[in-house]
Amino acid sequence: MTFPPVLDVDWGHLAPALTLLTTAAACLLLALFQRDSRLTAGTALIGLFTAFVFNLSVFMSDSAGGASFGLRYLADAPALAFNFVVILGTALAVLVSYDQLSRMGMDHPEYYPLMLLSALGAVVMAAAGDLVTLLLGLEVLSLPVYVLSAWRTSARQSEEAGMKYFLLGAFGSAVLVYGAALLYGASGSFVYAEVVAALTSGGLVSLATAGAALVLVGLGFKAALAPFHQWSPDVYTGAPTPVVTFMSVVVKAAAFAALLRVAATVAPEVSPWLQTALAVAVAATLVVGNLAALVQRGVKRMLAYSAVAHAGYLGLAVLAPDHGGVEAAVWYLTAYTLMNAGAFAVLSLVVDRNDQGDDIERFAGLGQTRPGLALALTVFLLSLGGIPPLAGFAGKVMVFSAAVEAGYLWLALLGIATSVVALVYYFRVVAAMYFRRPEYASPSFRSSATDVAIAAALAGTVLLGILPGWWHDAIRGAQAALGF
Amino acid sequence: MIALLPLLVPLVGAALAALAGERRGALVAASLASTIATFAASLFLPGAPAFQRAWLPGLGVSFSLDPGGAASVLVVVVALVMVPTALVAALTVEERPGRFVAWLLLAQAGLGGIFMARDLLVFYVFWEGTLIPSLLLLGAYGLEKRRAATLKYLTYAVGGSFVMLVTILALKALSGAASFALADLVLAAQDLPAGTQAWLFAGLALGMAVKLPLWPLHSWLVDLNEQNHPSGAADVLGTLYKVGGYGFFAWALPVLPLGAERLAPLFIALGAFTAVYGAVVATSQTHLKRLLAYASLSHMGIVAVGVFGLHVAGLNGAVYLLAAQMLSTGGLFVVSGMLYARRRSFDVDAYGGIAKSAPALAALTLFLVFAFIGVPGLANFPGEFLSLLGAYQTSPAAAVVATLAVIGAGVYGVNVYQRLFLGQQREPVRDLGPVELYVLVPFVAGVLWLGLAPAAQLERIEAQSQVAVVQLAGTEPPADELALGGAR
Repeated sequence: MTFPPVLDVDWGHLAPALTLLTTAAACLLLALFQRDSRLTAGTALIGLFTAFVFNLSVFMSDSAGGASFGLRYLADAPALAFNFVVILGTALAVLVSYDQLSRMGMDHPEYYPLMLLSALGAVVMAAAGDLVTLLLGLEVLSLPVYVLSAWRTSARQSEEAGMKYFLLGAFGSAVLVYGAALLYGASGSFVYAEVVAALTSGGLVSLATAGAALVLVGLGFKAALAPFHQWSPDVYTGAPTPVVTFMSVVVKAAAFAALLRVAATVAPEVSPWLQTALAVAVAATLVVGNLAALVQRGVKRMLAYSAVAHAGYLGLAVLAPDHGGVEAAVWYLTAYTLMNAGAFAVLSLVVDRNDQGDDIERFAGLGQTRPGLALALTVFLLSLGGIPPLAGFAGKVMVFSAAVEAGYLWLALLGIATSVVALVYYFRVVAAMYFRRPEYASPSFRSSATDVAIAAALAGTVLLGILPGWWHDAIRGAQAALGF
Repeated sequence: MIALLPLLVPLVGAALAALAGERRGALVAASLASTIATFAASLFLPGAPAFQRAWLPGLGVSFSLDPGGAASVLVVVVALVMVPTALVAALTVEERPGRFVAWLLLAQAGLGGIFMARDLLVFYVFWEGTLIPSLLLLGAYGLEKRRAATLKYLTYAVGGSFVMLVTILALKALSGAASFALADLVLAAQDLPAGTQAWLFAGLALGMAVKLPLWPLHSWLVDLNEQNHPSGAADVLGTLYKVGGYGFFAWALPVLPLGAERLAPLFIALGAFTAVYGAVVATSQTHLKRLLAYASLSHMGIVAVGVFGLHVAGLNGAVYLLAAQMLSTGGLFVVSGMLYARRRSFDVDAYGGIAKSAPALAALTLFLVFAFIGVPGLANFPGEFLSLLGAYQTSPAAAVVATLAVIGAGVYGVNVYQRLFLGQQREPVRDLGPVELYVLVPFVAGVLWLGLAPAAQLERIEAQSQVAVVQLAGTEPPADELALGGAR
């Protein structure tokens, strides 16, 4: 007779997360002895690459789809694919930060360890198969980001951003905890699969509905879904641009990984009005994000609202997990990570050392003074606007077609109407760069590390747009192998 | 693989042009090499095999190009027009000419994709992707009010085409088609009720009517032409990019025949009105480019009348008129650039009597004007005649109204020639230089070719018209006819 293992753990599945953890610890130790943060950044990149290799080996292997700790830590296709997104986003953010920290006077050695810990939290959130693991991941993700938002200690704006983010984030977490408690009360379990089983065999559906609603609200805070998005423009504007590069992609990816999981498992089992409420929230996000972005003067704040708007497009996929929404969301987030991190990377080169000067006038004539930079930003913005043949277009086709297949034609039409608005504000920056004469001295700061990040994001945005099939197939194929 | 050449050669050419930058010699060499090679390659398109590869298999999208049917005609004409156009741009654009030519050639690749695509989503990719070069040409190289014109163009074009995108996605979802391939959509959409088809048709039509353009969605066109770079090269691209009529012909009619039948009265009325409206407004214009814009709007109204007559002759004629329009209107826009180079004005009244000092320019312009207003034996005539003939079979009233536009064309055409070239000469201008002569020769040759030998081209177009006609007749299309249309 065989005994079950004492500890139900597949170390291979945990390897990416553990790599991030050990790298964070190593970076912290290194930071004790080495004041130059560039060495720490290099170590972080090596760690991220190792985590990537581990993740790739699990993704390609047959053992994908397993779970550890009794369905509490999942290594299924969405989780593994999200890990790629998180690792990619973190690596881009590390490259953007590489030369910027000393320039902006915020070169403290704890920066990269905090970023890696936050990435670890994102990986855990994507893998979470139960509400407690989810909460653990959420806190590990969030606490470092609160600190990083306030990293520019000399600026009140940055401190205010960190404080605001912390207070509202804590509030969001509290709501999530309360929802988890209600779900536990209704079903007697924290594990999604067991909650679903308990509800189908006659649990307290009304209590579970309230619980699931609160969980979605808590995650909606992190994902910046309207009406819980108000923190994000202020935090994005106040936080240092390299940090925004990180959190606009990694925090968003983690939040949507968790949202997708809850929407695919628990949400269909509770009262259908929850789905309707989510659809209304997505609609509100699309409208609010795009209209608010239209009236911004600063490009950074415009991109902050555009990030809210993209939460709306991702929300379309979350509403349709059974109609290709899962792979659509993962694919969209991959593209979004490349184009959004790329846009913020360009922005970090345009702003001055105090992180000021992101008005649209500063971009005037950039097409003549810094043609390479202008071309890259043009590609990122057009991709964010969904112009073919760039990555953002294929992503948009996927989420819209998932929503249409799931019967949300009205939401797709609303999304398209707001996309026209979006293209106007994206194109305004392109127009300033190419159609106007320079009004300010051209930005003089150059950083080869940031250039690498921009080049990588640019190549990814274009190549993924021209050849979207392979990555979509890879996500779907892995899912099919898991019997999704 | 031949089907890929009209896309790949201009892409390479665009890269070379961007590299050549300010060096005129290299730039002229790159643009001539690219456009002539594309033209040569496109001559082999008729009968070339289709090209198909999986692109986004998870959603049922395949990168499929079919060089047969109307595509073989339109791609050849585009390639012919681009030879002198890119040369004009390479020679006359003062600032950043390399990028100008690069955008033109990128747009040429996009146009090839629009005409050859046999997958609706791939068609959309090219349709929308081509917008960016034409926007940047207007915004970066236009005149003082270019930014307002660019914003207007962007809003109209993107607004229309984004609705079209959702409609495309809804079309597949509602019909349950296995893929976005033309053949699959045609078969699956047959079972959709007429009401649903009408809604879907209206969604597609919004994007296509903006690009056609049809009144009341036309006002971007006039501003675009007025504010574009004075060389006229960007306006030629604008003329080539009027792909709305082709969209109706190749996609909306065959896929949604019941919707087309239900909405045809509305669209044929709009087309007839656009034709007359454009002609009437054109007669009162004094700005040469605005006049050309309104006149070509009038022609596009005739295209719409031809398409929405839902008769095979009208369909053939409409596509033929599109091709002819590229040559005659394109040639006249290039002439407008040459006039501007002489006297820095687009005001018709700033000229007058210059036929005396520039007889060659006057003669070639008169030739192109004759083609433009539909004189028999020249390019526009067969298309206009067949469009109106086809429409007359089904909606005589609309055809009669649209015929008035042809009379109007005589008025504004002769009038503008007379005001520019005849009468009292105020100040002599120089006649055509040798390069300018070479620039106009392809337009003239093309006009003669399409005017004198329409049969072969019409036969190719008809192979594709039959797909729509068979669908409109409501019968199951035989497999071989679908293949002619190039579905698989």
